[in-house]
Amino acid sequence: MLTTIKPKGKTIFLYLLIPVAMFVFTVFVPLVTAFVYSFFEWKGGPQKTFNGLENYITLLHDNTFWKAFGHNIYLVVACIIGQIGIAFVLVMMVNSKLVRFKTIHRTFGFFPSTISAVCLGLIWNMIYHNQYGIINWFLRAIGRSDLCQVWLNNTKLVMLLVTIPLIWQYIGYYMVIILSAIASIDTDIFESAELDGANGFQKALHITLPLIKNTMLVCVTLCIAGNMKAFDNIYVMTKGGPGTASMVMAMYGYQVSFNQSNMGYGSCISVAIFVLSLLVIGGTRGLIGRLTREKEA
Amino acid sequence: MKKRQIISTAMAAAMAASLGLTAGAAADVAVNDLAYTGELEIMHYSTAEEAEGNGGSDGFRTTLAAWKEAHPEITVNENVLANAEYKTQIATLAAADDLPDVFLLQGMNTIDWAEQGLVYDLTDTIKASPYYDNYNQAYFTPFTYNDSIYGYPVLTGGTCTVVIYDKAMWAEAGYDTFPGTWEEVEKASEYFNEQGIYTIAFGNGGKWQANSDFLSTLGNRYTGGDWFISLIEKSGAAFTDEAFVKALTEMQRLFTETSIFNEDFNVVTNEDAREYYISGSAAAFIGGNWDESYIAATLGGTDEVEGTDPEKFANIGFAVLPQPADATEAPNSQNIGLGYAVAINSKVAEDPDKLAAAIDLAQELTGPAFSSFVAENYALGGLTMVDEVDLSSFDQITQDFYNWSYVDTEPCEIYDSYLTNAVWDVLNTDLQTMLNGEITPQEVAENAQAAYEANY
Repeated sequence: MLTTIKPKGKTIFLYLLIPVAMFVFTVFVPLVTAFVYSFFEWKGGPQKTFNGLENYITLLHDNTFWKAFGHNIYLVVACIIGQIGIAFVLVMMVNSKLVRFKTIHRTFGFFPSTISAVCLGLIWNMIYHNQYGIINWFLRAIGRSDLCQVWLNNTKLVMLLVTIPLIWQYIGYYMVIILSAIASIDTDIFESAELDGANGFQKALHITLPLIKNTMLVCVTLCIAGNMKAFDNIYVMTKGGPGTASMVMAMYGYQVSFNQSNMGYGSCISVAIFVLSLLVIGGTRGLIGRLTREKEA
Repeated sequence: MKKRQIISTAMAAAMAASLGLTAGAAADVAVNDLAYTGELEIMHYSTAEEAEGNGGSDGFRTTLAAWKEAHPEITVNENVLANAEYKTQIATLAAADDLPDVFLLQGMNTIDWAEQGLVYDLTDTIKASPYYDNYNQAYFTPFTYNDSIYGYPVLTGGTCTVVIYDKAMWAEAGYDTFPGTWEEVEKASEYFNEQGIYTIAFGNGGKWQANSDFLSTLGNRYTGGDWFISLIEKSGAAFTDEAFVKALTEMQRLFTETSIFNEDFNVVTNEDAREYYISGSAAAFIGGNWDESYIAATLGGTDEVEGTDPEKFANIGFAVLPQPADATEAPNSQNIGLGYAVAINSKVAEDPDKLAAAIDLAQELTGPAFSSFVAENYALGGLTMVDEVDLSSFDQITQDFYNWSYVDTEPCEIYDSYLTNAVWDVLNTDLQTMLNGEITPQEVAENAQAAYEANY
């Protein structure tokens, strides 16, 4: 160990002080206060009445909340398959010897994730628009105007329709992560696999994937965390509607807190989002861990 | 308090130049001597963009600027947000007990915030106001709780439900005026559908429009005015009452079983829907006074701007919501009122001089200076009544809308100016589902009643 350049404990502490203090103030403190408020009936304003577990009991019987939770799970599953899955396939394609202009592919692939979710929601609103949208325009152009519809008003399809922009936006983000992970794999391994006659598909499945397992696990965790708190593009596109057909947990918490001025119950919903997200992330990691261990054994 | 009247003529040139308004646009605020010197915060939603074409916002900004000019010793810190952001922000500040000194209180928040002691009780102040005799007393109702008044109703008294229609298009369909019943509108929709035109454009993408711009008036046609007063006073009426459920049933029928409205009404907002009218894709539009001012400003602009259409502008007609076949009450009613009031943070009372300044500001923002400005420039009315409004200098459409709003129709209450937003949020969400035909009117009524009992 290079003890000569190892900084003193005090130096490390001072360097970390500002970011840790900011983290505590912006994440930890609100979390704790939300947890405290969740035990109160608080309709905004200075008066709060302690009501024990009443908010949590209401939450257990709140159909809208559990419907929203279901929608979040839908988003998580669709985005793990859509975002990470497609990103992996695209990375394999970009890395193939047949593809030219690799940097351009990478840059343009990453581009959508730099756009703000609000702009993205507005853009996709135009795509889905009943009168001027490109989808209905295309259907009319190919003579299938019978298939034209008010897309975002279709209760059965609306969750899929709000998920597509999310998938599209973040493919590039995961591409960059996966690309950097693959870059760290020794090229000798691929070369010897090729000498043994492995095709692209076999290389991807049996060499690349096991070697970037940990990175993929990080991607899955990020994907779950991101989708459990999904809010902005759905808010712009449907406001959770029609009715509650595309309601997600964060939006329901927002609606209860600010539209219904029920801060106590809103805090309870926030705590529930936190706990449920931890459970889902923990569960998924455990599941992946078990599956891969069995394979190795 | 010593009083002297100052006519701020310098303001006229400055305001007209900066806002591009009608020449001579100024507000003559009464300049009262105030002991307070220092800062005064005010939060509102009359943004510069909003003030273009919107009389209430323009009047508010102009009067506020005149008051600032008249009181240079007071530094007014303005925080101006667009309406949607304003609502969220003010709710957050109320929750944190950190409201600005002066702000706009929405009718449905009155009870909650008054009970929490967040807003200053203005009852005595209002009664002592020099303009008291000219106040339109009915406007105070949404801001009154337990006989105390918590705000000066602000901006302009405008309808929330007006049918704006194109006289020429309806004449072609065989109607000299807009039909008075939904049956006739349904018949007319057959003609318009053949032409590939929406009969009436409506936008409920924001979820509140179906309530504010439709149900509030339609419900009154079934329940009559007393029912809603009883609901406010908690004296027996319920959302589950037969008459109200009948109104919901009729509303669901109109949106799901007829082809009167644009099929995307549940997705587009009122801003989108009024464009259907402006572009000629719809023969009529239902919305509020804010939509009327936008449509009139867009079609009737004198400059060679895109969208200007003098012929279509001249053909604008106004009508009340048609009467349903089984409704028995007030066929000529429309919901009109003032949704917001200038309120004062109760903490301001700790400094009596500051309180006097805040009261003076509230009084002037809603007083004769404001009312004269909006009457003279936009033919609109506010809290303080102006004696004679000379309409002759206005174009025909402005005159028509003034008469329609204040003279020829019967007023009824705007639902969401009252009760609490916890009730309306539940109802509005359910209404959107109901208008897709996925929940019954009875269930909507039961959910609203449950929210009412739990929160009001």
